[in-house]
Amino acid sequence: MKSRRRMPVGVSMLVIILVCIPAMLFGAGKAKVTFFWNLYEGLTEDIRVEFQNAFNATHPDIELECVPVDWELSHNKLTTALAGGNPPEMSVIGTYWLLEFMDMGAVDEITKYVSPATINNIVPAIMEGKIGGKLMGLPVAAGARIMAYNADITKVEPKTMEELRQEAIRVNKPPDRYGFIMPGKKSLELTDFIYFLYAADGDVFQTKPDGTYGKCTVNSPAGVKALQFMVQLAEKDKVVQEGYLSQIRQDSHPTFVAGKAAYVFIGAWVDSLYKTAGSTFNLRYGQIPPFRGSKGKTLVVTDSIVIFKGAKNKKEAGTVLDVFYKDEWKARYDQMIGFPPVTISAGKLPQFQTPLYKTLVAASMRSKGWPLMSQWSECADIIWDAVVESFHGSKTPKAALDDAAAAIDKLRGF
Amino acid sequence: MQEGGRDPPSYRPSCLQTREEVKLPARLKGNSLQASEAKLAYLFLMPATLFLCAFMFFPIFRVIQSSFYATDKLGGLSHFAGLENYVTLFKQSTFRMILFQSVYWTVLAVAIKTLFGLILASLLNVEYRGRRFARTLIVIPWASSAPISAILWIWVYHSEFGLLNHSLRALGITQNPPIWLGTPGLVFYSVIWVDIWLGIPFMTLVFLAGMQAVSVDLYEAANVEGANALQKYYHITVPGIRDVLLIATLLSTLWTFNDFNTIYVMTRGGPVNSTHIIITYLYMTTFERLRWGQGAVMAVITLIILSFCAWIYSRLYFRKGD
Repeated sequence: MKSRRRMPVGVSMLVIILVCIPAMLFGAGKAKVTFFWNLYEGLTEDIRVEFQNAFNATHPDIELECVPVDWELSHNKLTTALAGGNPPEMSVIGTYWLLEFMDMGAVDEITKYVSPATINNIVPAIMEGKIGGKLMGLPVAAGARIMAYNADITKVEPKTMEELRQEAIRVNKPPDRYGFIMPGKKSLELTDFIYFLYAADGDVFQTKPDGTYGKCTVNSPAGVKALQFMVQLAEKDKVVQEGYLSQIRQDSHPTFVAGKAAYVFIGAWVDSLYKTAGSTFNLRYGQIPPFRGSKGKTLVVTDSIVIFKGAKNKKEAGTVLDVFYKDEWKARYDQMIGFPPVTISAGKLPQFQTPLYKTLVAASMRSKGWPLMSQWSECADIIWDAVVESFHGSKTPKAALDDAAAAIDKLRGF
Repeated sequence: MQEGGRDPPSYRPSCLQTREEVKLPARLKGNSLQASEAKLAYLFLMPATLFLCAFMFFPIFRVIQSSFYATDKLGGLSHFAGLENYVTLFKQSTFRMILFQSVYWTVLAVAIKTLFGLILASLLNVEYRGRRFARTLIVIPWASSAPISAILWIWVYHSEFGLLNHSLRALGITQNPPIWLGTPGLVFYSVIWVDIWLGIPFMTLVFLAGMQAVSVDLYEAANVEGANALQKYYHITVPGIRDVLLIATLLSTLWTFNDFNTIYVMTRGGPVNSTHIIITYLYMTTFERLRWGQGAVMAVITLIILSFCAWIYSRLYFRKGD
């Protein structure tokens, strides 16, 4: 009987030992750093795994886990993690989310954890994450948007939107060849409408003398002109790829790199997409053209890395960033996603002296970012709905933008 | 009567004996036994009770509480707001439209699933060659993961490369097929079809199990009486599977009303809210717009609606025993 009674005790001890020993051997004592590694069209997967393994091999006291996160899910994943009180040590974010996360009191000042050598090596002009004199987010990617075109279909690099439209109509032969690529399904970023809005010298909000944002001006004549032009291209001229209403950026760009379209407004990742697809057509770059009579600007999008206040191992997260921002890794990362380098040292490397990067640098000279405000995600959502309603014809561009502007003003308390 | 004036105890298996009939050892008789049994019962129930309290009752209480509070961006309660969240939400025409859309979504999907389930179960209940294979085929949509099925259907519906539009073009039905997931009037039905497609196997299998439990004698008697197939189906099969029908429909109603996967993966409620149902709108309001109070209100409304459905079904189900 005694031996029978002892058996469960023995089994329990065995289980505890079996569970604890591996934990002691492999995990205990290590500071775990979780890094939400956002995917740039899946272009950084190789370097993610390689960096993680290399870092873990050279830093026995830190366990780095780079978690691949889809951009479309990233905001929700972070919000849920923050609300659950279990944020990752750090994450890539769209810089325009920064104020929202700061409102939550979730983000820590990055200069506390990252070495001055790393920070001083970053191009000062792109420090968009510097708020109230404090650097809250380290720029990880900054790229102005450009136009790419298939020179096997057209040799024309349009100087105005009107020229672009004319040429798109001329070369358009659906379903084999489209004049212009444009996503029409709502996604996380409101990029396409903004390209046309900025090209018409429009803006989303009034900017007050103190730099803060006033009423929504998306329904200004420039805004209406931009949206009318988009609707014209898609619904009247029908030069946009088939099924654009059900496609987000990631769905629509493959049609361009497949060589089936003349023009697309895109980011620097076009080069990587083109190479990954094994395309051979004559790819060229130009600036997003302004409307006739407008000066026009292009959109520049920056992404940042932030360290979260509620995380356990922030000091170790800083160590990870110090390693990641060395040319060995960061320059390769920039090259993979196709963005111009954010570090001064990488900017001098020969691989960044190409026509693409020259076009990107020229674009950044005439670029403008998103409105940096905590409610931007919701405002973008409302404008997206107006754009989609116009495409569907349920509202005219003017009516849709009037409604959107009113809804945004109401949301922001104007 | 035997000696001593007592009836002989008739044999009953021990599992059917009542507690009074079980002969107990002397040491276990009396109140001490009851007390120790009760203690044991509480002990066994304790883990499940604690689990329920921690992971069901507390979150439900917390959600109800949140619906009456203003919250910060991380969901922390800031101050009591009374019915403000409820009023704000019901003032939104979008929310009212989505509430109606949720009911329409559920009624339509459950009705079609039930209809298809009954038809398919009836077909699978008939003896023929290849019936086993047909039954296996029916289970496939149910056996596959819902998000993966939804992704698969996105590709089926893809306007340029999708199987559906390709077939429509190849068969010469139309050269300009519709944009299934981009047109507001159409997208709702495109997405609901995927929910229906995923739900039919469950209904079919449950109905089939019910049909197989109906006594063959009843059908034989009906044959003798000269009943035709339709009469047999209406007077024997349907009443025979009534309970199963109610339970399956109730479960399907609960699942369909809460079908987050299909909509979120396929359209995220768009375009322009045309495929949102309460559960997806709740997610968007809470986790994307960080309006935790309004999200809590939607959760409370969902709880009320589904509890009401369950109550109606239970009334119908237990009426049989009256």
